[in-house]
Amino acid sequence: MLRREEIAARLTLDADLAVAVLTSFIVDTVAGAQARGVVLGLSGGIDSALAAALAVRALGGARVHAYYLPYRLSSPDSRRDAEAVARHLDLPLTSWEITAQIDAYFDAVDPEADSVRRGNKLARERMAILFDQAKKRDCLVLGTSNKTETLLGYSTVFGDHASSLNPLGDLWKRQVWQLSRHLGLPSSVIEKPPSADLRPGQTDEAELGVDYPTADEVLYLLFDRGLRPAEVVAYGYPAAAVERILALERASRFKRRLMLIARLSGSAINLDLELPRD
Amino acid sequence: MVTAAPRTVRVGLAQLDSRLGDLAANLERHLAWIARAREAGVDLLLFPELSLTGYRLHHLAAQVALRPAEAPEIARLAAACKDLTAVVGLVEEHPHGGLCNSAVALAGGRIAGIHRKLQLPTYGLFQEARCFRAGDRLDLLPVAGTTAGLLICEELWHPGLARRLARGGADLIAVLSAGPGRLGAAPEPASQGDWELLTRATALVDTCWVLFCGRVGWEEGSFYPGGSHVVRPGGEIVSRAPWLEEHLLVADLDLGEVTRLRTRLPLLADERQGIEGP
Repeated sequence: MLRREEIAARLTLDADLAVAVLTSFIVDTVAGAQARGVVLGLSGGIDSALAAALAVRALGGARVHAYYLPYRLSSPDSRRDAEAVARHLDLPLTSWEITAQIDAYFDAVDPEADSVRRGNKLARERMAILFDQAKKRDCLVLGTSNKTETLLGYSTVFGDHASSLNPLGDLWKRQVWQLSRHLGLPSSVIEKPPSADLRPGQTDEAELGVDYPTADEVLYLLFDRGLRPAEVVAYGYPAAAVERILALERASRFKRRLMLIARLSGSAINLDLELPRD
Repeated sequence: MVTAAPRTVRVGLAQLDSRLGDLAANLERHLAWIARAREAGVDLLLFPELSLTGYRLHHLAAQVALRPAEAPEIARLAAACKDLTAVVGLVEEHPHGGLCNSAVALAGGRIAGIHRKLQLPTYGLFQEARCFRAGDRLDLLPVAGTTAGLLICEELWHPGLARRLARGGADLIAVLSAGPGRLGAAPEPASQGDWELLTRATALVDTCWVLFCGRVGWEEGSFYPGGSHVVRPGGEIVSRAPWLEEHLLVADLDLGEVTRLRTRLPLLADERQGIEGP
């Protein structure tokens, strides 16, 4: 059995090697797709900042196209931080406000729509723009979702969750922090509480009901080490937190296995017929 | 009195990337690397597991399968191997049906041997038993004045196989691998630690040279770390290729080291058979 203090150490990466591997992933995937580069949304948050930094290292700034796509309720801090990241990476930042199309839709069809639907719509509109820009520029869309939020389902399916390639998808949140510090990203981005910024005052950890370090460690024990929930609680993690993490993971599995196809033949896509994408 | 010069064999480990499912492109690269190795005076050149086809083939395996004795691709490779031995990895159509994950040795302008992978990993991200049928015999390969045993990747994790090869007379054990990489806190890939534990332990307890030829590149989001290496009888790593880069690693093996170690450490000769009990 691991000691509690060993768990965090197990989630530490050798930063130089991790950066080398993740940049080679971007280089290889872009070359394999014969694309010119990548596009990504810079939200002002740490995940997209790290993804951008990796992409610039992999491809050079001229092949990385960054977009800041705010809504009228987006925090001014997000703009400040997105601009700081772009400046730090010497990337031009295209900024387009998406308020008009979002408000036009809800005003026309459903003015009573709740904040979750509005947040999802924002995330999908941003991704629709990024895929369109990628098509225009003959680029791939760079994903920015980390492993912790993906396992907790803290994402909008076909929104921020969508991408052509995602260098962060197997990084725990603390590894995102670690690599961001290693690459010297602006401290305001690293130190602020993570937020999807889909609504004023929103923070990930308040909405999830669990803090990221706990979520990282509990998910690691459950899925990397194969422990049962009771064994995780025996390490001293609060039972309520473990139950919350399990419930979030269970409820969001549909987001991680897309394309639910009714199988009729012996060659159903992805069930019988596994064709590699490379 | 000074006796004959030491018996040496020059080996080359072709740590390359393969294009998944692209037999024609991979064949041309093999021919180029064979030419490179010949210029370097290599006697025995190893390629990684499934080097002609790539590894994560799933349902593409049947499309790239070859019958070595009839395939023009193999005839071209054999013709390039008149004055050295090369071992390549491929999907082989088994004479009695089914597909094998095979290593084909080419020497003297012809096929010198075929080893069909005996242990097919089908756990975690591995799906080999779904694509391949297992081989059913071990053979020794005479090469450049010595005797080699070929193993493919997972087979090294079943140490009885290397033991049998060594007891049967192998002075060197050549491992063709397409083991995927993993990262941890150490400055080398975490997966490499496992491999070097195995290769060094094999070189120690089977008292032979061990050659480990890995690959680089990405397939479907999974990377191959490289780190091909040569281990001296007794377990010391004498040379290692870099991580994440294509590299031709060349080393001279003094076969006298096998004889000397087996005199000093007669583990194979002492091994008792027919012991009762579990």
